[in-house]
Amino acid sequence: MKKPILFLALAGACLQVHAQKLFSTKTGQIKFNASSPLENVVAVNNQVDSKMVDKTGQIVFSALIKSFKFENQLMEDHFNENYLESSKIPKAEFRGYVTNVSAIDFSKDGKYPVNVDGTLTIHGVSQKVSTVGIMEISGGRPNISGVFKIKIKDYGITGLYIGTKIAEEAEISVNCKYE
Amino acid sequence: MKKILLSAGALFLLVALGGWYYVFQYSKTHHRDVANEDAVVVSAARIVKDYEANEKTANARYLNKAIEIKGVVLKREKDQAGDMTLTLKSGDPFANVFCTLKPGTTLNPRASTVMVKGVCTGFLSDVVLNGAIVVK
Repeated sequence: MKKPILFLALAGACLQVHAQKLFSTKTGQIKFNASSPLENVVAVNNQVDSKMVDKTGQIVFSALIKSFKFENQLMEDHFNENYLESSKIPKAEFRGYVTNVSAIDFSKDGKYPVNVDGTLTIHGVSQKVSTVGIMEISGGRPNISGVFKIKIKDYGITGLYIGTKIAEEAEISVNCKYE
Repeated sequence: MKKILLSAGALFLLVALGGWYYVFQYSKTHHRDVANEDAVVVSAARIVKDYEANEKTANARYLNKAIEIKGVVLKREKDQAGDMTLTLKSGDPFANVFCTLKPGTTLNPRASTVMVKGVCTGFLSDVVLNGAIVVK
Protein backbone atom coordinates (compact mmCIF):
# COMPACT_ATOMS: atom_id res chain seq x y z
CA MET A 1 0.00 0.00 0.00
CA LYS A 2 2.91 2.31 0.82
CA LYS A 3 4.56 1.91 -2.61
CA PRO A 4 1.64 3.22 -4.72
CA ILE A 5 1.27 6.22 -2.40
CA LEU A 6 4.99 6.94 -2.65
CA PHE A 7 4.80 6.55 -6.45
CA LEU A 8 1.83 8.93 -6.65
CA ALA A 9 3.59 11.46 -4.43
CA LEU A 10 6.74 11.31 -6.59
CA ALA A 11 4.71 11.56 -9.80
CA GLY A 12 2.90 14.57 -8.35
CA ALA A 13 6.19 16.20 -7.39
CA CYS A 14 7.60 15.56 -10.89
CA LEU A 15 4.49 17.05 -12.50
CA GLN A 16 4.84 20.09 -10.27
CA VAL A 17 8.48 20.50 -11.26
CA HIS A 18 7.67 20.14 -14.97
CA ALA A 19 4.73 22.51 -14.72
CA GLN A 20 7.07 25.21 -13.45
CA LYS A 21 8.73 27.41 -16.06
CA LEU A 22 11.94 29.37 -15.72
CA PHE A 23 12.09 32.54 -17.80
CA SER A 24 15.42 34.23 -18.35
CA THR A 25 17.23 37.01 -20.17
CA LYS A 26 20.80 38.26 -20.45
CA THR A 27 19.84 41.51 -22.14
CA GLY A 28 17.58 43.07 -19.53
CA GLN A 29 17.72 46.83 -19.16
CA ILE A 30 18.23 48.91 -16.01
CA LYS A 31 18.41 52.70 -16.08
CA PHE A 32 19.95 54.68 -13.24
CA ASN A 33 18.95 58.31 -12.91
CA ALA A 34 20.39 60.50 -10.16
CA SER A 35 20.04 63.78 -12.03
CA SER A 36 19.91 67.08 -10.19
CA PRO A 37 19.02 70.53 -11.48
CA LEU A 38 22.78 71.05 -11.95
CA GLU A 39 23.74 67.82 -13.71
CA ASN A 40 22.27 65.09 -15.88
CA VAL A 41 23.39 61.84 -14.19
CA VAL A 42 21.90 59.01 -16.25
CA ALA A 43 23.30 55.56 -17.05
CA VAL A 44 21.93 52.53 -18.88
CA ASN A 45 22.87 48.88 -18.54
CA ASN A 46 21.66 46.56 -21.33
CA GLN A 47 23.43 43.42 -20.02
CA VAL A 48 21.23 42.65 -17.03
CA ASP A 49 20.91 38.96 -16.23
CA SER A 50 17.48 38.04 -14.86
CA LYS A 51 15.61 34.85 -14.08
CA MET A 52 12.01 34.36 -12.98
CA VAL A 53 9.98 31.28 -12.00
CA ASP A 54 6.33 31.55 -13.02
CA LYS A 55 4.78 29.36 -10.30
CA THR A 56 6.60 30.76 -7.30
CA GLY A 57 7.21 34.30 -8.56
CA GLN A 58 10.85 34.03 -7.52
CA ILE A 59 12.85 36.68 -9.38
CA VAL A 60 16.53 37.64 -9.58
CA PHE A 61 18.20 40.57 -11.35
CA SER A 62 22.00 40.73 -11.54
CA ALA A 63 23.92 43.63 -13.03
CA LEU A 64 27.60 44.41 -13.45
CA ILE A 65 28.39 47.98 -12.44
CA LYS A 66 30.95 48.40 -15.23
CA SER A 67 28.21 47.64 -17.77
CA PHE A 68 26.44 50.92 -16.92
CA LYS A 69 27.11 53.35 -19.76
CA PHE A 70 26.96 57.13 -19.35
CA GLU A 71 26.85 59.71 -22.09
CA ASN A 72 29.85 61.39 -20.45
CA GLN A 73 32.93 59.14 -20.15
CA LEU A 74 34.37 61.14 -17.24
CA MET A 75 31.11 60.75 -15.30
CA GLU A 76 31.20 57.00 -16.00
CA ASP A 77 34.77 56.82 -14.67
CA HIS A 78 33.84 58.73 -11.50
CA PHE A 79 30.71 56.58 -11.00
CA ASN A 80 32.89 53.45 -11.09
CA GLU A 81 35.96 54.66 -9.23
CA ASN A 82 34.73 57.18 -6.66
CA TYR A 83 31.13 56.18 -5.92
CA LEU A 84 30.32 52.51 -6.68
CA GLU A 85 33.94 51.28 -6.34
CA SER A 86 33.20 48.72 -9.03
CA SER A 87 36.69 47.22 -9.11
CA LYS A 88 36.18 46.10 -5.50
CA ILE A 89 32.42 45.41 -5.70
CA PRO A 90 31.61 44.64 -9.35
CA LYS A 91 27.99 43.47 -9.01
CA ALA A 92 24.57 44.65 -7.88
CA GLU A 93 21.73 42.22 -7.32
CA PHE A 94 18.05 42.04 -6.48
CA ARG A 95 16.55 38.79 -5.13
CA GLY A 96 12.90 38.56 -4.30
CA TYR A 97 9.40 37.53 -5.27
CA VAL A 98 6.52 38.72 -7.38
CA THR A 99 4.14 38.36 -4.45
CA ASN A 100 0.93 38.31 -6.50
CA VAL A 101 2.19 35.92 -9.20
CA SER A 102 -0.92 33.76 -8.83
CA ALA A 103 -2.95 36.62 -10.37
CA ILE A 104 -0.95 36.38 -13.61
CA ASP A 105 -2.13 34.10 -16.40
CA PHE A 106 1.10 33.40 -18.30
CA SER A 107 -0.89 31.80 -21.13
CA LYS A 108 -3.05 34.87 -21.72
CA ASP A 109 -1.73 38.03 -23.37
CA GLY A 110 -2.28 41.15 -21.33
CA LYS A 111 -0.86 43.61 -18.80
CA TYR A 112 -0.87 42.57 -15.16
CA PRO A 113 0.04 44.83 -12.23
CA VAL A 114 2.69 43.18 -10.04
CA ASN A 115 3.95 43.66 -6.49
CA VAL A 116 7.61 42.87 -5.96
CA ASP A 117 9.34 42.41 -2.59
CA GLY A 118 12.95 41.53 -2.04
CA THR A 119 16.48 42.50 -1.15
CA LEU A 120 18.56 44.87 -3.22
CA THR A 121 22.32 44.69 -2.81
CA ILE A 122 24.39 47.57 -4.15
CA HIS A 123 27.96 48.44 -3.16
CA GLY A 124 27.91 45.37 -0.90
CA VAL A 125 25.04 46.76 1.22
CA SER A 126 21.64 45.01 1.27
CA GLN A 127 18.32 46.76 1.83
CA LYS A 128 14.71 45.57 1.67
CA VAL A 129 12.81 46.92 -1.31
CA SER A 130 9.08 46.80 -2.11
CA THR A 131 7.80 48.14 -5.37
CA VAL A 132 5.12 47.77 -8.00
CA GLY A 133 5.41 47.21 -11.73
CA ILE A 134 3.75 45.81 -14.80
CA MET A 135 4.08 42.32 -16.22
CA GLU A 136 3.11 42.23 -19.87
CA ILE A 137 2.51 38.80 -21.40
CA SER A 138 2.81 38.56 -25.15
CA GLY A 139 2.84 35.20 -26.93
CA GLY A 140 3.65 33.41 -23.68
CA ARG A 141 6.69 35.63 -23.03
CA PRO A 142 6.67 37.98 -20.05
CA ASN A 143 8.12 41.48 -19.99
CA ILE A 144 8.49 43.06 -16.55
CA SER A 145 8.89 46.79 -16.05
CA GLY A 146 8.88 49.06 -13.04
CA VAL A 147 10.40 52.15 -11.46
CA PHE A 148 11.47 52.70 -7.87
CA LYS A 149 13.67 55.07 -5.90
CA ILE A 150 16.58 54.39 -3.59
CA LYS A 151 18.49 56.64 -1.23
CA ILE A 152 22.10 56.48 -2.43
CA LYS A 153 23.56 56.88 1.07
CA ASP A 154 21.53 53.86 2.32
CA TYR A 155 23.93 51.71 0.30
CA GLY A 156 27.09 53.10 1.88
CA ILE A 157 27.86 55.21 -1.18
CA THR A 158 29.46 58.47 -0.27
CA GLY A 159 30.87 61.26 -2.36
CA LEU A 160 31.38 64.97 -2.44
CA TYR A 161 28.60 65.77 -4.88
CA ILE A 162 25.74 63.65 -3.46
CA GLY A 163 22.98 66.07 -2.55
CA THR A 164 24.30 68.81 -4.85
CA LYS A 165 25.25 67.78 -8.38
CA ILE A 166 24.01 64.23 -7.76
CA ALA A 167 20.50 63.69 -6.38
CA GLU A 168 20.23 62.06 -2.94
CA GLU A 169 17.65 59.66 -4.37
CA ALA A 170 18.27 57.71 -7.55
CA GLU A 171 15.47 56.45 -9.75
CA ILE A 172 15.94 52.87 -10.93
CA SER A 173 13.94 51.80 -14.01
CA VAL A 174 13.80 48.11 -14.88
CA ASN A 175 12.66 46.62 -18.18
CA CYS A 176 13.29 42.94 -18.87
CA LYS A 177 11.97 40.95 -21.81
CA TYR A 178 12.21 37.26 -20.95
CA GLU A 179 12.60 34.26 -23.23
CA MET B 1 54.01 93.73 -12.50
CA LYS B 2 51.04 94.40 -14.78
CA LYS B 3 52.55 92.05 -17.36
CA ILE B 4 52.91 89.28 -14.78
CA LEU B 5 49.31 89.72 -13.61
CA LEU B 6 48.06 89.66 -17.18
CA SER B 7 50.06 86.51 -17.95
CA ALA B 8 48.79 84.81 -14.76
CA GLY B 9 45.21 85.78 -15.64
CA ALA B 10 45.58 84.48 -19.19
CA LEU B 11 47.09 81.24 -17.89
CA PHE B 12 44.27 80.80 -15.37
CA LEU B 13 41.68 81.42 -18.10
CA LEU B 14 43.39 78.92 -20.38
CA VAL B 15 43.47 76.21 -17.67
CA ALA B 16 39.80 76.86 -16.74
CA LEU B 17 38.79 76.72 -20.40
CA GLY B 18 40.78 73.50 -20.88
CA GLY B 19 39.11 71.97 -17.82
CA TRP B 20 35.65 72.98 -18.99
CA TYR B 21 36.32 71.58 -22.47
CA TYR B 22 37.62 68.26 -21.08
CA VAL B 23 34.75 67.74 -18.62
CA PHE B 24 31.80 68.95 -20.66
CA GLN B 25 32.81 68.52 -24.29
CA TYR B 26 35.63 66.00 -24.80
CA SER B 27 34.24 63.46 -22.29
CA LYS B 28 30.83 63.57 -23.95
CA THR B 29 32.13 62.85 -27.42
CA HIS B 30 35.13 60.63 -26.63
CA HIS B 31 34.34 57.27 -25.11
CA ARG B 32 36.64 54.39 -24.33
CA ASP B 33 37.51 52.55 -27.52
CA VAL B 34 39.09 49.09 -27.27
CA ALA B 35 40.35 49.42 -30.85
CA ASN B 36 43.14 51.66 -29.48
CA GLU B 37 44.08 49.37 -26.59
CA ASP B 38 46.43 46.41 -26.22
CA ALA B 39 44.36 43.38 -25.27
CA VAL B 40 44.80 40.36 -23.04
CA VAL B 41 44.46 37.44 -25.48
CA VAL B 42 42.63 34.47 -23.98
CA SER B 43 40.37 31.63 -25.13
CA ALA B 44 36.68 31.52 -24.21
CA ALA B 45 37.28 28.24 -22.36
CA ARG B 46 40.18 29.69 -20.32
CA ILE B 47 38.46 32.89 -19.18
CA VAL B 48 35.30 31.01 -18.15
CA LYS B 49 37.38 28.42 -16.25
CA ASP B 50 39.32 31.20 -14.52
CA TYR B 51 36.11 32.95 -13.41
CA GLU B 52 34.55 29.72 -12.20
CA ALA B 53 37.69 28.74 -10.29
CA ASN B 54 38.10 32.08 -8.46
CA GLU B 55 36.10 35.15 -9.38
CA LYS B 56 38.22 37.53 -7.31
CA THR B 57 41.48 36.40 -8.91
CA ALA B 58 39.90 36.43 -12.36
CA ASN B 59 38.62 39.98 -11.80
CA ALA B 60 42.14 41.06 -10.87
CA ARG B 61 43.34 39.58 -14.17
CA TYR B 62 40.54 40.61 -16.55
CA LEU B 63 38.10 43.17 -15.09
CA ASN B 64 37.96 46.50 -16.97
CA LYS B 65 40.72 45.34 -19.35
CA ALA B 66 40.51 44.96 -23.12
CA ILE B 67 40.15 41.24 -23.77
CA GLU B 68 40.58 39.52 -27.14
CA ILE B 69 38.75 36.22 -27.53
CA LYS B 70 38.42 33.85 -30.46
CA GLY B 71 35.42 31.59 -30.22
CA VAL B 72 32.60 29.70 -31.86
CA VAL B 73 29.37 31.69 -32.08
CA LEU B 74 26.60 29.90 -30.19
CA LYS B 75 24.00 32.61 -30.48
CA ARG B 76 23.64 36.05 -32.01
CA GLU B 77 20.85 38.37 -30.93
CA LYS B 78 20.02 42.03 -30.41
CA ASP B 79 19.67 43.68 -27.01
CA GLN B 80 16.91 46.13 -26.04
CA ALA B 81 18.95 49.03 -27.41
CA GLY B 82 19.24 47.24 -30.78
CA ASP B 83 22.96 46.43 -30.43
CA MET B 84 24.21 43.03 -31.56
CA THR B 85 25.14 40.48 -28.90
CA LEU B 86 27.18 37.31 -29.37
CA THR B 87 27.45 34.28 -27.14
CA LEU B 88 30.77 32.48 -27.64
CA LYS B 89 31.05 28.83 -26.73
CA SER B 90 33.34 27.96 -23.85
CA GLY B 91 32.80 24.20 -23.76
CA ASP B 92 31.10 24.53 -20.37
CA PRO B 93 27.34 23.95 -20.74
CA PHE B 94 26.53 26.39 -17.90
CA ALA B 95 28.70 29.41 -18.70
CA ASN B 96 29.95 31.00 -21.91
CA VAL B 97 31.21 34.42 -23.01
CA PHE B 98 28.48 36.99 -23.61
CA CYS B 99 29.51 40.01 -25.56
CA THR B 100 27.75 43.18 -26.71
CA LEU B 101 29.19 44.72 -29.86
CA LYS B 102 29.67 48.46 -30.31
CA PRO B 103 26.73 50.14 -32.03
CA GLY B 104 27.04 49.91 -35.78
CA THR B 105 29.42 46.91 -35.76
CA THR B 106 28.76 44.58 -38.65
CA LEU B 107 29.42 40.87 -38.75
CA ASN B 108 29.34 38.42 -41.62
CA PRO B 109 26.02 36.61 -41.06
CA ARG B 110 27.67 33.29 -42.00
CA ALA B 111 30.68 33.65 -39.69
CA SER B 112 30.69 30.75 -37.25
CA THR B 113 34.01 31.58 -35.56
CA VAL B 114 34.93 35.14 -34.65
CA MET B 115 37.64 37.05 -32.84
CA VAL B 116 36.28 39.88 -30.73
CA LYS B 117 37.91 42.51 -28.55
CA GLY B 118 35.91 44.12 -25.74
CA VAL B 119 36.06 45.37 -22.18
CA CYS B 120 35.49 42.67 -19.55
CA THR B 121 32.86 43.93 -17.09
CA GLY B 122 32.76 40.77 -14.95
CA PHE B 123 30.93 37.49 -14.50
CA LEU B 124 27.19 36.77 -14.18
CA SER B 125 25.81 33.61 -15.82
CA ASP B 126 28.53 34.20 -18.43
CA VAL B 127 31.74 36.20 -18.62
CA VAL B 128 30.57 39.57 -19.96
CA LEU B 129 32.31 41.80 -22.52
CA ASN B 130 31.06 45.27 -23.42
CA GLY B 131 31.78 47.74 -26.23
CA ALA B 132 33.31 44.97 -28.33
CA ILE B 133 34.60 45.12 -31.88
CA VAL B 134 35.08 42.25 -34.33
CA VAL B 135 38.80 41.80 -34.98
CA LYS B 136 38.19 39.12 -37.64
